Amino acid sequence: MELRQASDTTVDGVPIHGGTEVVPLLRAGLLRAETLVDIRGVVSRGVADGRIGAGVPLAEIECDPQVPEVLREACRLAASPQLRNMGSLGGNLLQATRCWYWRLNWPCRLHDGDECFAREGEHREHAIFANDFCASAHPSDVAAALLALDATLTTSRRELPLAGLYRLPTDDDRRTTTLDPGELILDVRYDKPDASVYLKAMERKRWAFPLVGVAAVRRGATTRVALAGVAPIPWLLDGFESAAPLPRNAYKVDVAKALVKRATAAVAG
Amino acid sequence: MARLIRTEKEVEGRYEEVWLVVEEDALEQWPTGPRDVVGRPAERLDGFERASGQAVYTADLDKPGMLHTAVLRSPHPRARATVDVSPALGMPGVHAALGPGEVEQLSAECNYQGQAVAAVCADTLAQARAAVRAIRCDFAVLEPLLDPDEAVRRGELLGDPRVRERGDYERGLAEADAVVEAEYRTQVVLHNSMETHQAVVEWTREDAVEVHISTQYVWGIRDAVAEGLGLPADNVRVVCHYMGGGFGSKNSPDDYTFIAAELARRTRRPVKCALTRREENTAAGNRNATIQRLTVGARSDGTLTALGGEFVNAVGWGGWSSGTEGPMQMLYACPNVKTTTYGAKLNLPPMKAFRAPGFVEGTFGLEALLDELAAQLDLDPLELRRLNHAEQAPEGGEYSDKNLLECYRRAEPHWERRHEVRARSTGTVKRGVGMASQIWYGGGGPPSYAWVRVGSDGRAAVVTAMQDIGTGTRTAMAQIAAEELRVPLEHVSVSLGDTDRGPYATLSAGSSTTPSVGPAVRAAAADARTQIEEIAEQRGLPKDAPVAAVVDVLEDAQILGKGARGPNPTGMQVLTFGVQVAEVAVDVETGEVWVERIAAVHDVGRVINPLGASSQIEGGIIQGIGHTLSEERLHDPATGRLLTTTLDAYKLPTIADVPEIVSELVDEPDRHLTNLGSKGLGEPPIVPTAAAIANAIRDATGADVRQLPITREEMLRALREAEARQKEKVGAPAGV
Repeated sequence: MELRQASDTTVDGVPIHGGTEVVPLLRAGLLRAETLVDIRGVVSRGVADGRIGAGVPLAEIECDPQVPEVLREACRLAASPQLRNMGSLGGNLLQATRCWYWRLNWPCRLHDGDECFAREGEHREHAIFANDFCASAHPSDVAAALLALDATLTTSRRELPLAGLYRLPTDDDRRTTTLDPGELILDVRYDKPDASVYLKAMERKRWAFPLVGVAAVRRGATTRVALAGVAPIPWLLDGFESAAPLPRNAYKVDVAKALVKRATAAVAG
Repeated sequence: MARLIRTEKEVEGRYEEVWLVVEEDALEQWPTGPRDVVGRPAERLDGFERASGQAVYTADLDKPGMLHTAVLRSPHPRARATVDVSPALGMPGVHAALGPGEVEQLSAECNYQGQAVAAVCADTLAQARAAVRAIRCDFAVLEPLLDPDEAVRRGELLGDPRVRERGDYERGLAEADAVVEAEYRTQVVLHNSMETHQAVVEWTREDAVEVHISTQYVWGIRDAVAEGLGLPADNVRVVCHYMGGGFGSKNSPDDYTFIAAELARRTRRPVKCALTRREENTAAGNRNATIQRLTVGARSDGTLTALGGEFVNAVGWGGWSSGTEGPMQMLYACPNVKTTTYGAKLNLPPMKAFRAPGFVEGTFGLEALLDELAAQLDLDPLELRRLNHAEQAPEGGEYSDKNLLECYRRAEPHWERRHEVRARSTGTVKRGVGMASQIWYGGGGPPSYAWVRVGSDGRAAVVTAMQDIGTGTRTAMAQIAAEELRVPLEHVSVSLGDTDRGPYATLSAGSSTTPSVGPAVRAAAADARTQIEEIAEQRGLPKDAPVAAVVDVLEDAQILGKGARGPNPTGMQVLTFGVQVAEVAVDVETGEVWVERIAAVHDVGRVINPLGASSQIEGGIIQGIGHTLSEERLHDPATGRLLTTTLDAYKLPTIADVPEIVSELVDEPDRHLTNLGSKGLGEPPIVPTAAAIANAIRDATGADVRQLPITREEMLRALREAEARQKEKVGAPAGV
C-alpha cells in the first residue's frame, strides 16, 4: 500500500484524513486500497460563521462558540477525546455502520450478499426505521445534527443538501452514500438556528455510538428533528408511524420518543 | 517439625483432597491494629517502573532472533477442518508451520469458535499473519448446540448434576407465609486483560526450556509444560516478573504456550505466541452465562424457611460448573435448602475462572430474590438479612472468624442515606438505594515458602517464586518483612516471578496470595530476625538495636531466614464477608441507569496495605459495574458465531461510568488463621455489586430487574411489568 499527499482535490485512490475510520477498516479487510491519499493539505480546516471546513477535527468544533449547540454537543458526545482530536467533520459523515455482522464481514446485503443477518439475529443496536432491506444503523451523531440544521455540502464536484449525501441501500445499489469515487466533501454550510439541541442515549456514559441520537433545530416556528442510530442513514423524523422495530429493538422507539419530546421542548421558543 | 497431613484444599470454590507437608506456625499473631509498617498505606514498590514503562512485561519481550506466531482458529462453533499448511511454508519470512495434531492443542475437530487449528511462525508478526491466510483450510460446518436448557435436556453436561440438600425443603416451603419465585439470568462477560494471553518459549538445551509467560501461576505452568513436553519439572524455567491482568484467566499454559514451545523446538529460536485482542475476546476464557430459577419461602416476620434453586451454568465446551449455588447454600441460616446445579456443555468457548466464579452470578440471583421477598413482606432489606444471619456455618462447622454483623453495622450510615437519596428523585429520574451481602472464600492455604536474606548493609531481600498479578502483592510482602525484621520499608526488596529463583509459592487466584504467602514471608523474616538478635547479643548490643548497626560488621556474610505457610485451622470454614450499598438513578422514560455512589464494607481479616486494599475494592466495583450495566459477549443466535470481539462492540465501563466509591475494612485479624490473620481481597469486592445495583433500582422504581446486563431494554421491560402489576393491584378491589 502506498501513501501519497494530495496536491489538489482531484483524488485518485482512497482518501484519508484523521484515519480513525479508514485505518480500522483497512486492518479489518473491509476496505481495500492500493493507494491512500492524504487529503489533510487540501481540505479546509477553517470555521467561519455558518461554514465549517470538512477538515476540521471534531475536537475543534465542540469548543467553537460560533457553532450551533446541536453540532457542538453532537461532537462532544461522539467517541473519545483522542478520536475527536484526529477525526474530521467530513470523515465523520462518511462513517460506515457499526453493525457487527457488517464489521465482521458476514456476506450481508451491504456486502453485496442476499441476507440481512441482523433482522433474524442480534439486532438490539439496529435500525427501527427503513430496516426491511438492511437493518444497519447509521452511527454518526454529527450527521444527525447537520441534517436537523438542513446543512448544505460542497464537494469537489457539486453542491448538495446534506440529506442528498445519503441513500437507503437497495437491491441493485448497496451504497449508503451518493458520493462518487474520488469525490471529496470540502465544507458544510448552514443557516444559524434560533435554538438547537442534541440528546444521545448510549450503553455507557461516554465513548459509545448512539443507540438513539436526537438533534432538534428551531428556526422561527419550525422545528426540524433528525435522528442518529435508528436507520441505515441519518433519519429526518416524520413521526413514528413508519417505525418498524424488530423483536429486540422495540425499546429504541420508547427511547427515541422520550428524547424527541425532551429535545423539542428544549428548543421551543 | 515437618508434618505430613491429608487435607482439603480450596481453590476458587473448588475443594480437593491433597497430601501436604506443613510446618507448624509458631509465631503469635500481632495484636489488632496498624503496626509500624503493616496496616499503614504504602505506595507500590514498582509503581514508578510500571507507570514509566520500565517494567518489562511478557508483551514487551523481544529476544534476539525471536520469531512471531499467528494462529489459525476456527471461525465456527462446530466444524471439521481439512487443512494443508504447506502453502504457508513458502511465504516470506516463514520458519515453520504446524497443522492439526502436531501439537495436542491444534485440532481439526472444532467444538467452539476459537479452537486452534494451525499455526505459523515467521520473522515478523505481519509475515506470520499473511502466511496463516495462505493455509488451505476448509471447514465442514456442523449444527452447534447453543441452548443451555436444551443441553440439560439432552444430558450434554460437564460433570454430574450437583444436588446439595439440607433439612426438608418441601416442608420448609409448606411452612412459609410468603413464597417468591423468580428466574434470573446472567450473561457471558470477558476478562479483557490489558496484556493478552501470551508466552515466549526458548529451548536453552536439548531437554530444557525457558518460558516467559503472562501468568497467575508460574509453578502450575512449570508442571503443565514439563508434563506436556515430557521433561523433568526442573528443566522448565518459568518467568513472569510483571503481568497486565489475569482475573482468573491465566492459571494454565493453554494452546499458545505449547504452540510456541513446538515452534521453538523446530526452529531452535525463541518464539513468541501472543493472542490478538480479537483472539483474547474469543478464546481466552470468559465468565459463563447462567440461568437461575430460584424460590424463597419465609414466615411473615422474614424468617427464612426454605431456599431452593435450579442453576444452569452455560459452561461452554470446557472448564467447570462453578458454585453458582454457593451463596444460597452458605449465606443465610435457613434450615431447608435444596439446590441442583447443571453444567451445560455447549459449542461455545470454554469458561475460565473469573474473579469469584459462580458467586458473582449466584449472589446476583440470591440477593435480588431476597429483596423481592423484603418488598413482598414490606420488611427492611437490611433487617431481613440481620434476622437470617448465620452464627454457625449452615452446612456445618465453625467459622474461623466472621464479622458480617459488624459490616452491617458499619453500613448503616450508608443505608440511612436512602431517605435523602429517594427525595432527590424528579419526575423522570428516580433515585434509590440497595444493598447486598458478600460471602466468598479467600483463606488461602499451604504450601508456600519464602526466604529472607539480610546483607551487611542492613537491607533485606524477600525471595519467593510467587507472582504479582497487579494487585500489589510485591508491596504487601515487603511490608510484612519490614515489620517483622524491624527495618524501613524502603530497605526491603522482593524477588519473585521465577521458578529458578525462589521456592514454591501458591497461585495468584482465589484471593489466596496474601493469606498463603504472607505468613511464609513473616516466618522467614522472623527466622532472620532471631539470628539478628543473637548476633546483637554476641556484640553486646541491645536486642532492639537498629538492624543496620547489628549487621554492619558482616561483610560478605549474610543472614538467611526461611519460612513456610502453616496449616489452616482444622474443621473450620475460612471465609470472607462484606456488604455493599449502591445508590443509583434511573431515567424511567429512556431506561438509562447510572450508579452515583457505592459504599463497600468488607471483612478480610488483617489488612496489610490499606492503600492497596482500597484500590482492590475500587477495581472490583468498577468491574462489577461493567458486569451489571454494559458488558456482554454476544453470539449470533443461529450460528453461534461471536459478535463482540472488539472493544468498540464489547462495552467496558469508562471512567465516566465510575461513581463515588467509599471503601471500609473491618481490619480484625482472623484469630484462627495463620500468623497474620489475613485473608484475600482480590475477589470479594466484585461479588455483591450487581445485586446491590439491582436492589437499588427496585428501591428507586419498584421494578424487578432479573437479567444482566441491565440494558435499556431490560430496564424498560421491568418498568412496564412493575406498572402493570401496580395497575392490577389498584384495579383489583374495584373488581371484588
